[in-house]
Amino acid sequence: MQEYLLLVLAAIFVNNIVLAQYLGNCPFIGTSKSLGVAGGMGAAVVFVATLSTAITWAVQEFLLIPAGLEYLQTIAFILVIASLVQFVEMFLKRMLPPLYRSLGIFLPLITTNCAVLGIALIVQRNEYDFFKAVIFAFASGLGFALALVVLSGIRERLDLVRVPRSLKGTPIALVMAGLMSLAFFAFKGMIS
Amino acid sequence: MIKMWKEFSKGLWKELPPFRLVLGLCPVLAVTKTADGGLGMGLAVVFVLTLSNLLVSLVRKIVPPKVRIACYIVIAASLVVAVELLMQAFAYTLYQKLGIFVSLIVVNCIILGRAEAFASKNPPHLSVADGLGMGLGFTLSLTFLGALREIFGYGTLFGVPVMGTSFKPFSFMIEAPGAFVCLGMLLGAMNYFTNLQRRRKGLAPRGNPAHECGSCGLCQGGK
Amino acid sequence: MREILKMVVVLSIICGLAGLSLASLKQFTAPYIVEQELTFVQGPAIASVFDDFDNDPVKDRKTFQLPETGEKVTVFPARRDGRLLGVAFETKGQGYGGDLGIMVGFNFQPEGVQGIGVTTMKETPGIGARVAKHGFTGQFRGHALTDLEFRSQGGDIDAVSGATVSSTAAMHSVKKALHIYTSLKGQFTEAFGTEAP
Repeated sequence: MQEYLLLVLAAIFVNNIVLAQYLGNCPFIGTSKSLGVAGGMGAAVVFVATLSTAITWAVQEFLLIPAGLEYLQTIAFILVIASLVQFVEMFLKRMLPPLYRSLGIFLPLITTNCAVLGIALIVQRNEYDFFKAVIFAFASGLGFALALVVLSGIRERLDLVRVPRSLKGTPIALVMAGLMSLAFFAFKGMIS
Repeated sequence: MIKMWKEFSKGLWKELPPFRLVLGLCPVLAVTKTADGGLGMGLAVVFVLTLSNLLVSLVRKIVPPKVRIACYIVIAASLVVAVELLMQAFAYTLYQKLGIFVSLIVVNCIILGRAEAFASKNPPHLSVADGLGMGLGFTLSLTFLGALREIFGYGTLFGVPVMGTSFKPFSFMIEAPGAFVCLGMLLGAMNYFTNLQRRRKGLAPRGNPAHECGSCGLCQGGK
Repeated sequence: MREILKMVVVLSIICGLAGLSLASLKQFTAPYIVEQELTFVQGPAIASVFDDFDNDPVKDRKTFQLPETGEKVTVFPARRDGRLLGVAFETKGQGYGGDLGIMVGFNFQPEGVQGIGVTTMKETPGIGARVAKHGFTGQFRGHALTDLEFRSQGGDIDAVSGATVSSTAAMHSVKKALHIYTSLKGQFTEAFGTEAP
């Protein structure tokens, strides 16, 4: 039990997927302008990352390794993620329209979100078992959502203050992300 | 010929990725701890981007619009696997250094973004010029950022000491926080120079290039 | 209907072509990749185990077969001035986060363990990863072939405290290597020759 708790805490705080592992920077900067959008994107990432890691784990274990095709990992994983995203989109549209209205517009963005593919690949590198893989993916997704929501909160405040003109927009957002990353840096060494 | 040069050279300054055309940020921070990491990553991107632009442009007329994104993904992913294999075979230390970021080239929006925004609408020779230009611009940016971080963070450039013996490494620069701040300040400096140039020409200052996730053009394209 | 058919055909052709070209590229690069992995993963470990050899152990490697199980081992000889100093090979143990690969070197004259080095490891950073540090691996340097056991079991090796699984995995690999060494020792000297080839 303790082991899983440590895995979750490490994935959210110590090795935060955006702030320490540099994954998913594009959507991190791109969708952090308002709190609402950031929340939606964060939730969509948690959902898709968990689901896609479960499927890619099975694909690797039961398809690629038995067939000796590990070198096709990248291509197999991205195809799984792309078709999963399409499928989830269709499913939500039919079955859960309210959820689709809040998450739907973020789904196409997720195919090219490197956090999702990155999580699936890290799981393979660390050779987690199925249960650990899913927990790790869920926690990493949460870490992404946390960072995104916090940054969007900061950026909403930033709109109200005077920022040097050249730094407006993306540059100051990156500097803020740097300060957040510095704050998260304090978690380093807590769980080693 | 002139047109090819135009498509090639726009990637080197006017639409220099990832600074002017804010595309593909993910690998930018991770692989630029050192200048050679940035250079290696950049060259891998040049390879994938040029060939994917060429192939996408060749098949642009036979691919049905509904499955074109799927086709682009297959093409890009195959090229990335090819890079992985070649890198393992001939540049193993670089492969170890870049880690999963080699695989992640496939989701770098610069690849799919250029396929969708340029190669799917232009003939092969222009697409290759565009891919080469954008790729080399990306390489230059990455190498520059890597050099900056390496000089201050390790006191070396391409592994050669340059800062003298009394230099104490500023390790903030090579850690994650330094990466974000460094890139932010660099983008700010870029904006400053753009507006300085415009003011000299007597033009009104321009707003900063926005970084929207959709700026790769893929998302609207996928719909 | 025609449209759907066209979609399927185009996608399959592209996928097929991609698969075909990647498979041939894989075939072409496979030998180079093996060579590179040996040079950059096993090579440094061999260099850390033997310190005064002057040949290229990776280039001179030979593959042997264990008589009882038929398992294959790739053995790297270390030579100086053409004289065979000893051999090194890699064995694996089940660590905390996956396989823990250990390169074990054996010396012929005086006979004993030359040293061990970690090749592949996915242990927890900070705890299990300490088995790769000199404090642990250094205990094996110049060790006799006997008494290779933890102190708690009557030997003279200290496990890394708090990293029992990783330490046991390393010890298991060393013992496996010792077993391979004793059963194949005759073949080693025969195949590599103790004098200059």
